[in-house]
Amino acid sequence: MNVLYVEDNKINAMVMDKMLSKSNSNVIIAENGSQALKVVKEKTLDLILVDINLGLNQMDGCELLQRFRKLDILNSIPVFAVTAYAMPGDEQRFIDLGFDKYFSKPVNFDKLLAVISAIGVS
Amino acid sequence: MPFTLKQFGILTEKTLLFLFIMKKDGQVIAFNNRCKVLFPNECDRIKGRYITDFVIDEDVPIFIKTISKLSLETPIVNESFTFPLSKTGVLSLKFDFTLHNDLVYVTGIDTTEEYKEHRALITISKLTKTGAWYFDVMNQEMYWTKGCYLIKELDPDTPMTRDLGASFYPKESRDRVENYLSTLIQNKEPYEYTEKIITHKGNEKWIKVVAQPVIYRNEVVYVNGTIADITDRHNYVEKLKYNEETKHLALKGIQSGLFDHFIDKKEVFYSEAFKKMLGLPLDTHIVPEQEFREMIHPDDIDKALKKHKNNLEKDGNHYHNQYRLRGKKGKYRFYEVHGFKRKNEKGETVRMVGNLIDVHQKKLSKKTIEESKKRLIAMVNNGMDYIILLNTKGEILMADEDSLKIIKRDFDVDPTGSTSLFIDVMPVNFKPSFADNFNEALKGNTIKKEIERVTHNGTNQWLETKYIPILDDASKVDSVLITFHDITEEKLAELAIKQAHIKEHELSELKSNILSNLSHEIRTPLNGIIAISTLLQTEENPEERIKLTEYLKESQDRLFDTLNTLGGFSEIESIQKNLNYSELDINYVVETSFREYRHLANAKKLEYTLDLDESCPQASIDENLFNTALNNIIHNAIKYTIDGSVQVKIKTKRSKKNIYIYIIDTGIGIDKDNYQKIFDPFVQESIGFSRKYEGTGMGLSLSKRYIEILGGSIKVKSKLGKGTEFIIIIPKCV
Repeated sequence: MNVLYVEDNKINAMVMDKMLSKSNSNVIIAENGSQALKVVKEKTLDLILVDINLGLNQMDGCELLQRFRKLDILNSIPVFAVTAYAMPGDEQRFIDLGFDKYFSKPVNFDKLLAVISAIGVS
Repeated sequence: MPFTLKQFGILTEKTLLFLFIMKKDGQVIAFNNRCKVLFPNECDRIKGRYITDFVIDEDVPIFIKTISKLSLETPIVNESFTFPLSKTGVLSLKFDFTLHNDLVYVTGIDTTEEYKEHRALITISKLTKTGAWYFDVMNQEMYWTKGCYLIKELDPDTPMTRDLGASFYPKESRDRVENYLSTLIQNKEPYEYTEKIITHKGNEKWIKVVAQPVIYRNEVVYVNGTIADITDRHNYVEKLKYNEETKHLALKGIQSGLFDHFIDKKEVFYSEAFKKMLGLPLDTHIVPEQEFREMIHPDDIDKALKKHKNNLEKDGNHYHNQYRLRGKKGKYRFYEVHGFKRKNEKGETVRMVGNLIDVHQKKLSKKTIEESKKRLIAMVNNGMDYIILLNTKGEILMADEDSLKIIKRDFDVDPTGSTSLFIDVMPVNFKPSFADNFNEALKGNTIKKEIERVTHNGTNQWLETKYIPILDDASKVDSVLITFHDITEEKLAELAIKQAHIKEHELSELKSNILSNLSHEIRTPLNGIIAISTLLQTEENPEERIKLTEYLKESQDRLFDTLNTLGGFSEIESIQKNLNYSELDINYVVETSFREYRHLANAKKLEYTLDLDESCPQASIDENLFNTALNNIIHNAIKYTIDGSVQVKIKTKRSKKNIYIYIIDTGIGIDKDNYQKIFDPFVQESIGFSRKYEGTGMGLSLSKRYIEILGGSIKVKSKLGKGTEFIIIIPKCV
């Protein structure tokens, strides 16, 4: 199972890689939006996880989602928001923007892994 | 048988007739002696001259016309021509013309007297608007002169009949007028009457008609008469009657009475009206002075007596006094006395005739008016802030004291002294709206507007202004009242509330931003910490464990950083108490901060430079606090600059008092609207979840506070997309 994780914070990227490798997922890290767009064209993906705040003068996670949605091949791939924005209302806002699921940081990996394995089964 | 010329000559000398013979073209051939007066001084040379040389100008064309009509079959009779005469003015002759053997035989008779009378009549009729008429009873023919037509305003060529003549009288008087003429014919007696007519043009006139019968064998055969237009006179008489009546009524209405005061006898004679007025017995004519004095109001008696005495002693003949008198039913009323004094040889007043006038109502009315006026003025001066009354031309009729003051001060115009247009004494920017509103008010509409003016102190004043049309009895706009009500306080309060609302909204936005940012900044490192802790529990590879532990430390540091900055804010008060001021070399202090971030700038491959000031300026500061502030700004400059440069410069040239530290970057820049906000705690220029920068946004705010604690200030200049320049200004030690 190929999972793309778009994350600028290296520590967070690293821990996601380590955690998901437990579920036999192959995690591809992209540091920013343009890298991510490159990856989706080259690899066949099963899931995309997107951080929202992607750093100084960078395309943010929401904008990246819009770009993904314009690519036909990605219409069937779930895209989850994984973000430290976790104030009341934030989850609804990201779901409304088109993310399939929302995970706040710190990430509840048990829950995330459960969702991922469900995708794998289907 | 015709006369011989000689016979003719003899005959003609014996006659009163004027005889002459002329050719058909008017050339005179022969004339009798009587004709000599017609041709004065020319008798010898007259032959060969034309008759038209001798008649008055207006008769010349008539003469030529008459002769031309003459023929053998139709002699011409009774034609009048007038000749100028040196002795009697004119000689008017009535001529018969006969044509015989191609010569015109002319016979004339002197009608000068008739002519003069006729002329005079014409002139008189012009002056008095009269006309003459006659009625031929036998033939039932009515004849009018031009004057009659003029009075009736009818075309003089209209043929006249008795019925047409009668038609000018209104229906109700027509029978009566007809009856006058019939009665005259029956009774053979003249008549005259005055009646109203309606002229051909529909005007109403009053005419006087006089008619005289001509009787032949006891029958009226002919009636001649005159008509005079007496409209003016009639109207004048009517007016006079009206005036007389007015005077009569007025006299009735005046509450006054005559009196005759015999001062030496101490008696007063009163007229009937006087006694009625005061309720005195009508059968006694004389009232003793003392009795009259007792009728004067006790409060007025002293003053009245004093005035009375002065009046009698002073020069001149006029007497005036006023007091209240007890009248009928014991009620007091105000009276005024106007009198005429008669004096004896010694100059003492012995008699005074005068008029006592009841002025009670006038006095009360005057009092009411005075009171109303006072109340009105009080209302004007206290009810509204400014109030101005304009007539329909826009001229100031009345204005309150404050408005007058402003107009006098600003325009050097006194509207109470001279007629001034309100539009001339107002600031130019108010004129168009005033004109609009005033015109609306003239149409009868009440207008309410708010205006803002700058007072002479330079403060803003808000006024609620109303244009109120004032209508006269006929509901026409007679004047316009403009009131101004000062609503500055309400307006300021309103603005303050608005500002407070905005502030409140901003604060609430700020609060959620703070929470959101803090939450994000705490959650991000916490994610690493929690995940790494989980991983460490199962990771057995020692190298991996070391690596994980290092990451754990990094995440912890970031978390602490956030918490420390937050702490910095609450610590400001305690910082102020524990400051350690010392005079320091600013070059050195700045370089310390500069070096601290060199690695960060290098990592981003930025051009990172420091310019020291040659004068080595010193400032009295707390080093720690200053460095913290400067660090934040330098860190900030590097953080928001992707490529280009970050320069730090120290300068003192511009001022003897201050040291300027410039931190200039080529970063993303700040929107002008956000210059001030960047110093608010927790606000990053780009806010919300889409913000691009890590950090709480508290750094700049803290820097500003720290520099201010040290007696300095921070300025910022920036262009969006081009870069930002922060300037720290700190007082120099001399």
